[in-house]
Amino acid sequence: MAGNQRTVRQPRRGTRRGSPHVRLRIGFMLIAIVLSVFGARLVQLQGIDPYSYAAAARAANLVDIDLPAERGDILDRNGEPLADSVEGLMIVADPALTRKHAPELAKFLSNRLGIDYANALRQLRGDPDSRYEYVARKIPATVASEAVDEARELGYKGLSTERDPIRAYPGGDVAANLVGFLGTDESLGGLERSFDTYLAGKDGKATYVEGSGNRIPLGESTTVEPVDGKTLTTTLDRDLQSYAQRVIAEAVDRSNGESGVVVVQDTQTGELLALADYPTFDANKPGEAPKADRGSRALSDVYEPGSVQKVLTLAALIDAGKVTSRTRLTVPNTLHRQDRVIHDWFDHPTKRWTLAGVVAQSSNIGTVIAADSFAAGQLRDYLTKFGLGRTTDIGLRGESAGILPSPTQWNAQIEDRIDFGQSLSVNAVQMTTAVNAVANGGVRVSPSIVKGSATTAAGVAVGTDHTTRERVVSAEAAQQMMEMMERVPDPETGTAPRAQVPGYRVAGKTGTAQRANSECGCYDGSFTVSFAGFAPADAPRFTVYALVQNPRNGGGGGSLAGPVFAKVMSFALRRYGVPPTGTQPSRLPVEWGRGRG
Amino acid sequence: MSSASPVPSGRTTPLRGRPWLDGAALQRARLAVVPRVRVRASRFPFVTLVSLILLAGVVGLLCFNTSMQQAAFTESRLSQQATDLAARQQTLEMELEELRAPQHLAAQAQKQGLVIATTVAMLDVETGKVRGQAAPATADATPPLRPRVRKPVFR
Repeated sequence: MAGNQRTVRQPRRGTRRGSPHVRLRIGFMLIAIVLSVFGARLVQLQGIDPYSYAAAARAANLVDIDLPAERGDILDRNGEPLADSVEGLMIVADPALTRKHAPELAKFLSNRLGIDYANALRQLRGDPDSRYEYVARKIPATVASEAVDEARELGYKGLSTERDPIRAYPGGDVAANLVGFLGTDESLGGLERSFDTYLAGKDGKATYVEGSGNRIPLGESTTVEPVDGKTLTTTLDRDLQSYAQRVIAEAVDRSNGESGVVVVQDTQTGELLALADYPTFDANKPGEAPKADRGSRALSDVYEPGSVQKVLTLAALIDAGKVTSRTRLTVPNTLHRQDRVIHDWFDHPTKRWTLAGVVAQSSNIGTVIAADSFAAGQLRDYLTKFGLGRTTDIGLRGESAGILPSPTQWNAQIEDRIDFGQSLSVNAVQMTTAVNAVANGGVRVSPSIVKGSATTAAGVAVGTDHTTRERVVSAEAAQQMMEMMERVPDPETGTAPRAQVPGYRVAGKTGTAQRANSECGCYDGSFTVSFAGFAPADAPRFTVYALVQNPRNGGGGGSLAGPVFAKVMSFALRRYGVPPTGTQPSRLPVEWGRGRG
Repeated sequence: MSSASPVPSGRTTPLRGRPWLDGAALQRARLAVVPRVRVRASRFPFVTLVSLILLAGVVGLLCFNTSMQQAAFTESRLSQQATDLAARQQTLEMELEELRAPQHLAAQAQKQGLVIATTVAMLDVETGKVRGQAAPATADATPPLRPRVRKPVFR
C-alpha cells in the first residue's frame, strides 16, 4: 500500500518498477514456485516414503504390550486348590536405555532374582532396534517390583514390569502325577496338558501412547482384554489323596517295590476320589524327578491283574447261570491242561471247596474248572462289558488300553489263564471300575476325574456330566459275588485277614500276578501284588484298589496290598462319615462234604 | 384507509363521477416518505461476547486437558497401587495355602504326637445307638510324613 502511495506520489520512479500487471504476474509466479515446493515435499512425504515418519513416531511413544490371561485353577472336589495361578511379574527391559549399564544391571538382577547372568546380560543389551526384551519371567510380584524400584534408585533406567502369572502347586506332590506341571510357557503333563486350551484362556493385547511412564489420554489406544482360563474342578479329595499317597509310599518303600498305585472310587457315581501314584514328584520342582515318575502309572502302566480278575470271571459265570456261590468243586493240587500245568499258590491235597472257598483261598485250579462251563466267546463278551481292553477316557493323556486278546487270538489255553488274570493286561483305573461294577450291583459306572464337564485339548468333553451306566451282570450275581468276596478278609477262611476294616463289612479279593517282561517276552519272576475291595460290603460306598509292582520282600496281595487297602478304606469311610451297617457278615460255606470247617 | 375516510356530502362534485380527481381529496390523500431512522448498534458487545466465548473455550479446553492429564497420573498411581495390593494379597494367599496343605497339617499334628485313628464309633442321633466300637488309636495307620529318599532311577 505504501509502495502504491509512493508510486502515486512519485510517478517517475514507478515506471522503473514496471506496471502493476507485471508485478502481479511475478508475485503469482513466486507463490506458485513456493507452492510447487510444498507440493513436491508433500509427494515425497506421502507418496514416496510415507512410513518412515509414522514408524519414527511410533518408536518414540507408542507402546505395544501383551496382556497375559490368567490360567484357570485346578481344584479338588471341595474347592481346595491343586494348581493355582499367583500374581507374578515379568521384568522387561528397554535395551535403548539399559544397554549402557547392561553388565552392572545384569549382575544386580541376577543377585536379587537368582536369574542367569549371561541371559540377563544378553536381554539387557538386546537387538539394536529393540525396545522391549524379557529379562526375567514369573517372578513373585512383590520381589520383582522391589528389585525394579531398587534399580531405579541406583540410577539404572529402562526396566519395567508386566503382569505374568505364576503357576503354584500348594500341595507339592499331592496329585502331582495327575495335575501335571507347567514349563515357562507350555504345559508339560497331566491335567495341565490335556486340558491346556480349557485352562489357558486367551491372551489380550494393548497398544497405547506413553509419555514419561504415563499413558497419554486421548492418544492412540487399543486394548483387547485377555480372557482368563476356566477353572477345572476334579473329583479328587485332596486330603484322601494325600493320605493314600503316603500309605502307598510307605508300602512300596517297606517292600522295596518298584512302584505302587492306590485308586479310590465312589461306588455309585464312579468319581475317582484318589489316584495315588508312587514314586511321585514335587510339581513345583518337576525337573528334580525322572521323567518316568512324572506321569500317572495308574493309567499308563499296564500289567496282568492276577487273581483280582477272578472277581470278574466268577461274577460273569454266575450271571451266565453256570454256577452259584455254593457250587461244590473238587480241586486237585495240579491241573494238566493242553500245553502246561496249572498250579495253586500253595500245595494242597485234593480239596472239596465251594465256589466261595475257591474265591476265599484264591484257587486258580478251582476257578479254571468252574469257568470251563463258559460257552465259546462268552467270557470275552463279559470282560469287554466290564471295560477291559479299552481306555477309560477320563481325560488324561497317555492312558494305555491294556490288552484283551482279540477273538481270533482267543483259544482255550488263553481262556484258562485269563480266568485267573494272566495273559491279559489292564491299567489300575480299568480294574477298579470293573470291580466297582460288582460293588454297584452289577452296573458298571464309567470313571471320571473331572467334576461337571470340561473339554480336553483333543476336543472331547469329559466329566461326571458324561457318566455312563451299563449293566454287566445281574444284581443277584453281584450279590453272590459280594458274599464270596467277603470270605477273603475273614481270618478263618480267607487269604487277606489284614484287609479287614475294624467295624465294617468288607468284600475284597487279593491278587498276586506274575509280571510279564517285555524285553524277554517272558515272566521274569517278579510279581504284581494287589487288593481290590469295597465297603461296607452290603451297602458299598467306596471301591479301593491298591497294588505294588515288584515287591522284593516276598509279600503277597493279602499281606502287602491288603493293609494299604484297609488303611485307605478306613480313612475314606471315616472321612465321609459312613456308618457301619451293623449287619452280620456272610457265613457262606467254603468247603463241603466230610471234614468241612 | 380511503374507504374509512369520510366523504363530505356537501362538497361532492359530480365531476365526471370521479371523486379522486378532486383537488382537496388529492391534497388530503398525498403521502410523504417517512425518513428511515437508522440505528447503528454498537459492534462492541457482540465482538466481546464472541471473544469471551472463544477465550472461555480455549481456557476450558486447556483446563480439561490438564485435568485429563492429572487424571491419567492419578490413574497410573492408583492402578499401580491396586497391582501392588493384589500382589501382596496373592503372596499372602499362597502362604496360607502352604500352611493349609495336607502335608503341613500332618507334620504339625504328628509333631504334637497325634496319630490317625483306626476305629470309629458313630452315634446315631435318631435312635440314640452307638454304631461301631471305638478303640484307642495306635500309630499303625499313620504313615511316615516323607517317604524314604529313593535314589532316582533314570531309565
